[in-house]
Parts: sequence; structure tokens; C-alpha cells
Amino acid sequence: MKKYLIAATFVTGLAGLGTMGMALADDDDCRVPMADWQPREAVQNMAEAQGWTVRRIKTDDGCYEIKGRDAQGREIEVKVDPGTLAIVEMEYDDDDDDDDDRGGRDMNQKPTGTSQPPANGLFVPGSKPGAVVQ
Amino acid sequence: MKTLLYALALSTALTVPAMARPVTLTTNMNSYGGDGAYLALYVTDAQGAYQGSLWMAGGKSKYYTHLSDWYRATQGNPAEINGITGASVGAGRQLKITLDLADALFDAGYELHIDVSAEDMRDSPSEVVVSLTTQGAGQPVPGRRYIRDFTYDM
Repeated sequence: MKKYLIAATFVTGLAGLGTMGMALADDDDCRVPMADWQPREAVQNMAEAQGWTVRRIKTDDGCYEIKGRDAQGREIEVKVDPGTLAIVEMEYDDDDDDDDDRGGRDMNQKPTGTSQPPANGLFVPGSKPGAVVQ
Repeated sequence: MKTLLYALALSTALTVPAMARPVTLTTNMNSYGGDGAYLALYVTDAQGAYQGSLWMAGGKSKYYTHLSDWYRATQGNPAEINGITGASVGAGRQLKITLDLADALFDAGYELHIDVSAEDMRDSPSEVVVSLTTQGAGQPVPGRRYIRDFTYDM
């Protein structure tokens, strides 16, 4: 009985971990063991072969991320699988829906809050806060 | 908290102007030399228990874990910041928020916290913690890392 219990705890524990991992993982993450990673130079070479100018190579969400310009001079941010060097995600910085920028370039955009504030007791019902970044 | 809510719901229905006061929250950022920072402005009671959020500067929820005190209190629940989310704030810039705050928040031991985070830089939870008092209004409070000073005016 005790053995069963221990086994059951272990299995549910594992299952719990598994689902947690699933919940945390993004679609655009890479999961490649460190041993299979290609060196930075390979990423640099791959980028140059595409005609890109590389400003920076870093790692993000388990992928390599290349920041720079493409052959046409557009600002790009490309996520690359560290094992195969396949492109996971490619973003142009002038895209509206770019997903990985905290607003470094576009930090002065208008606040997006449109609906009513939460009824947390701090705000006066019906009132709406406004914010400006200057 | 619940009593405060009930009291508010009851009394604001009758006398809105008496219970509210317009407040301006001004946050001046340092020139920390990084990308735009995420800021969470929220209120706790004197014991540090989370009461609610006032503003979230920064729109991408995947970065909210870096606002660690706020995230611990809310588990990143988007309902906490619906309608009070705006753009991130760049280095050297100023975030000015105008809002009508419940009167009951002042001189009652409540504290306003600001968590700050910027990409590839250290997280700074509760960088600013100020007691909400009528006397404290208009007095700039310095931040630790990213915030030069914070002031609330009414």
C-alpha cells in the first residue's frame, strides 16, 4: 500500500511538473539541449549568408535571437533554433504587432487601456484614469 | 477590503463627489540607459496585503513576472489591470497618471508601491513605497534604481 502511495505521489508529481512546463512554454520557445547548440559564429555566418547586417546576437526563450537589418535595410529581430539554425520567428521592427519589444523604440505610444478600470475599490466607479508618457 | 468595497459601493452611489478626489501620480524615470521600463502601481494596506492596482505601464503580459511583488500578489491576473494598462516608460521620461481615487485610501495606512523592470536589467520590486497621506502629497520620494522620483498631488 505504501509503495502504491509513493508511486502515485511520484507520478502525479511528475504529471504536475509536465503540465506546469507546458503552461509556461511559449509557442516561439526553443528546447534544444546545451550540448547540441551551434556556436555563435555559425549564427553570424548564417545571418551574413542571408544578407543581414548583425547588430547583436543573444539568447532568448532558449533560442538565438539576432537583431540587425535585412538586405533591404529594414530593422529585424529573428529567432533562430540553436540546433538547426532554422528561423523560428521573424519580426520587422516596423511591424505593428511585434511581440518582443518592450517599447524601446516605440515607448511613447498611446496607452491601450480602453475598458473600465477594475472594481477593486480604489477607483471611483465610472471614473477612468488617464496616463501620458512625456 | 470587502467592507471597504461595500462601503464604497454604497456611499459612492449616493455622494460621488464627496468620496472621490482627483489625484495625479507623477513618476520621473532616471536615465538608466536601457529599453522602456514596465511599471506596476498598486496599493497595499499597512500590513503589506495587496488591495488593488492603479496602473500597469507595459502591455505584454509575459514580462509581468518581472514585476515580482505585484505578480506574487496577483498571479498576473489580467482582470487586475483591465482598462488601466498603458505603454511602457522610457529612460529619462515621465509617466503622469490622473485618476479619481477613493477618499478612504488617504490617511488610513494604505501604501502605494511601484515595481519596475527593464529588459536585460535587474528587476526592482517595490522600488517606491509611499504612505498615502494628505500631508505627503506633493512631496517627491526618490526611487532606488530606475525611478528618479515619484510624487502624488491632489
